[in-house]
Amino acid sequence: MQRPPLHSAWPSRAAANALPGLLLAAGLLLLVSALLILLASSQPGTLHLPNRAWQTVRMSLLQAGLSTLLSLSFGVTVAWALSHRRQFLGRSLLLSVLSVSLVLPTLVIVLGLVSVFGRAGWLGQLFSALGSDARFPLYGLGGILLAHVYFNGAFAARQLLTQLEAIPAEKRKLVHSLGLSPWQRFKVMEWPAIAGSLPTLATTVFLLCFTSFAIVLVLGGSPRYNTLEVAIYEALKLDFAPARAVALALLQLSLCALLVLLSNLLRSHSAQISSVDVPHWPEPPRVTAVQWSIVLFAAAVTLTPLLAITVDGLQAELGRLIADPPVQRAVLTSLSLAAVSALCVLLCSVFIVRTQVALSAPRQWGECRFAPALRAGIGFSATLYLAVPSLVLGLGFFLAARQLPGQLSQWAWAALLVANVLMALPFALALLLPPAQKAALRYDRLADSLDLRGWQRWRVVEWPLLRRSLGQVAALSFCLSLGDLGVIALFGTADLVTLPWLLYQKIGSYRTADAAGLALILLALTLIVFNTIPRLFHRKYP
Amino acid sequence: MRLATPLALSLAALLGTAHAADKPVLTVYTYDAFAASWGPAPAIEAAFEADCNCDVVFVAADSSIGALRKVQLEGDETAADIVLGLDTNIAEAARATGLFAEHGADTSALALPTGEWTDTTFLPFDYSYFAFVYNSELTPEVPNSFEALAALPEDFKIIIQDPRSSTPGLGLVLWLQEAYGERADGLWEALAPHVLTVTKGWSDAYGLFLKGEADMVLSYTTSPAYHRIAEEDLRFQWAEFEEGHYLQIEVASVLKSSKQPELAQQFMQFLLSDTVQDIIPTTNWTYPATQTTTGLPEGFGDATPKTTLLMDGVEVEKNRAAWIETWQDKLSQ
Repeated sequence: MQRPPLHSAWPSRAAANALPGLLLAAGLLLLVSALLILLASSQPGTLHLPNRAWQTVRMSLLQAGLSTLLSLSFGVTVAWALSHRRQFLGRSLLLSVLSVSLVLPTLVIVLGLVSVFGRAGWLGQLFSALGSDARFPLYGLGGILLAHVYFNGAFAARQLLTQLEAIPAEKRKLVHSLGLSPWQRFKVMEWPAIAGSLPTLATTVFLLCFTSFAIVLVLGGSPRYNTLEVAIYEALKLDFAPARAVALALLQLSLCALLVLLSNLLRSHSAQISSVDVPHWPEPPRVTAVQWSIVLFAAAVTLTPLLAITVDGLQAELGRLIADPPVQRAVLTSLSLAAVSALCVLLCSVFIVRTQVALSAPRQWGECRFAPALRAGIGFSATLYLAVPSLVLGLGFFLAARQLPGQLSQWAWAALLVANVLMALPFALALLLPPAQKAALRYDRLADSLDLRGWQRWRVVEWPLLRRSLGQVAALSFCLSLGDLGVIALFGTADLVTLPWLLYQKIGSYRTADAAGLALILLALTLIVFNTIPRLFHRKYP
Repeated sequence: MRLATPLALSLAALLGTAHAADKPVLTVYTYDAFAASWGPAPAIEAAFEADCNCDVVFVAADSSIGALRKVQLEGDETAADIVLGLDTNIAEAARATGLFAEHGADTSALALPTGEWTDTTFLPFDYSYFAFVYNSELTPEVPNSFEALAALPEDFKIIIQDPRSSTPGLGLVLWLQEAYGERADGLWEALAPHVLTVTKGWSDAYGLFLKGEADMVLSYTTSPAYHRIAEEDLRFQWAEFEEGHYLQIEVASVLKSSKQPELAQQFMQFLLSDTVQDIIPTTNWTYPATQTTTGLPEGFGDATPKTTLLMDGVEVEKNRAAWIETWQDKLSQ
């Protein structure tokens, strides 16, 4: 089937669309390879895997598989219910909280979960009051799954909700006129709307759970559910065998590559663009009741741990904390770092998404023979950071910084920025790619015929369609970087203390009340940012 | 736009922190809690700078092992003159790197439970014993040995740390090994049902314990002193075990690559002065390594373990990997 280009400038324009992202992705791959090589060759030693590695991989596959399954089930169910319950008090709070869980420091959330589900937690007290001594099995696989669903299920729900809300009004009207049951409606209209983004989402969630560290230890009950990440830590810190650490990291990377490949094969182009007005029809009471129960359940599960963090935090001397200069410095450092990271993530993700779109759009490179391979490569480069332990990356940076001119503290900034960008990229792409692909499918022909190109085209075609997602990307990357402990500990420069780092220092020296106060400050900052940034992107375009 | 100004200011502040070059700079790598604004470092820095005509800079790594690995990665070009905070269990691994020089300090003032100190590379500056800490209000009855703990009903729970990522975690493995030798493996099996969970570091474990998740947490004999002195909370105690308690001695050492070895050695001697030793108890929450004129603050109590356990560093280094491997097997069953 021949599809001649409408315009003679087509090949060069498509190249211009694809090139910056390709270069960026290649740069990321090169950077990580260079860091790994640098680390592996820093000390004598051969690349070999410890005996236990495969056993660890098996257990982690099981744990991560279950976590992913549960997270996505939670996500789909909650998103479905929320897409039908469109107006109630606190809905927007619930929505922002759903996104917030992913970006708070692990230990903060874990302590919040413990307040609710632990031995002495609220749920336990409720059971006791009801005369039962049943307890949630928080330590063991149960706890790991709970925490992983808490972190990832909520994010999945938020993202899938966007997809559901984007179902075009015409389609809704059509389906409604057919008088289908809720289940049939889900099958013909809602499932197709979200199915396309599930593979990418599943990959991201799976990798997050597969490389989980603090959670699998603190809630795992025993070393049974250790991940490769723990083995890498042991190799680097306790035994100082960088080569073994790199071997383990490479194993983790290969599994990641396999997964990205798989999800690329499964991904379809069913993405939607958010539509503004969603028509709504009354539902049978039975269905409404189910939807309300799901919403209530989701609200209870996601809000109570945050409420516990708030209650704990209010017992701290907040006034003294806020007036404390080191706290103020840490807040300022974290905010500046987060702002710069968010900007970088926006730029990088826009370019990479442009390339991904150019490589899949039929009017650009979509039918080129190398396109699928290139797409997979770019997908891999963006998912990279989920598979490369931050400790490995951080040490690599640390080694690289020493061979380059300039002060270490400046490189610490650079390393922190790159790490933050890499960390946010998978989420940014998951948010941005579906609407961008849809925009290309819908408007490429028109834009070509109007000879719109470059900045003009982006301003007129993409920006209006993508700005809501861009707002989400900015908020998410800002908060991810705000809550990240990341590679900072390796550089240990006294003048670069972020808020989470300060928080960990406080817990590390008995100051749990102060830490609880800082956790509350961090939570508040995150919620404020999450509600403010997307608004900046909602403004009407001049 | 509104964000831009504070952003630019803080960037400028962060990039412009180069130290004045007229004074010699003594760089000390240590762990985060030591270098924190409420830790011992600021007071020690001020006291030493008062006389030395130098600038002391504490650089915080995430842990003492982290500080050591950082020096190893940096090799000869490291900015560090001193690494402070390693314990005797990992000191042997540090010695093997060949990066460390003689500390050169007069150790006659040392008053350690182990008696005389002969190591000329690593200099002790404080110590504490590993112990299980409990809240006497919630857990009135505690076991007095590992065997008694193993014999308790299974709902008596302890929280421990992973030996691969935490010094107390490693300390516990060595504690059982030193106290029970070959029988340690069997005992771990018997203890496993009581282990509520194994955390990455001390912070997570202690945080869970304070939330009331377990009866006891692996910590230090000096932990209750923090609650008594800083929080005026008298409920926390440590459980004395008949087998004795494993000692953690924290040491400092000068790097061979230091460009100012004399200043570094001066600092090492300073670590044993009454000034520093009196700062340590209520900032690092450990026992001082010497007997100072002021003595220990009241809240530390008089009781210390009757029996002290400490394994030779060389033996630790030789067997560590195998013991951790067994530990992992026994706890994972």
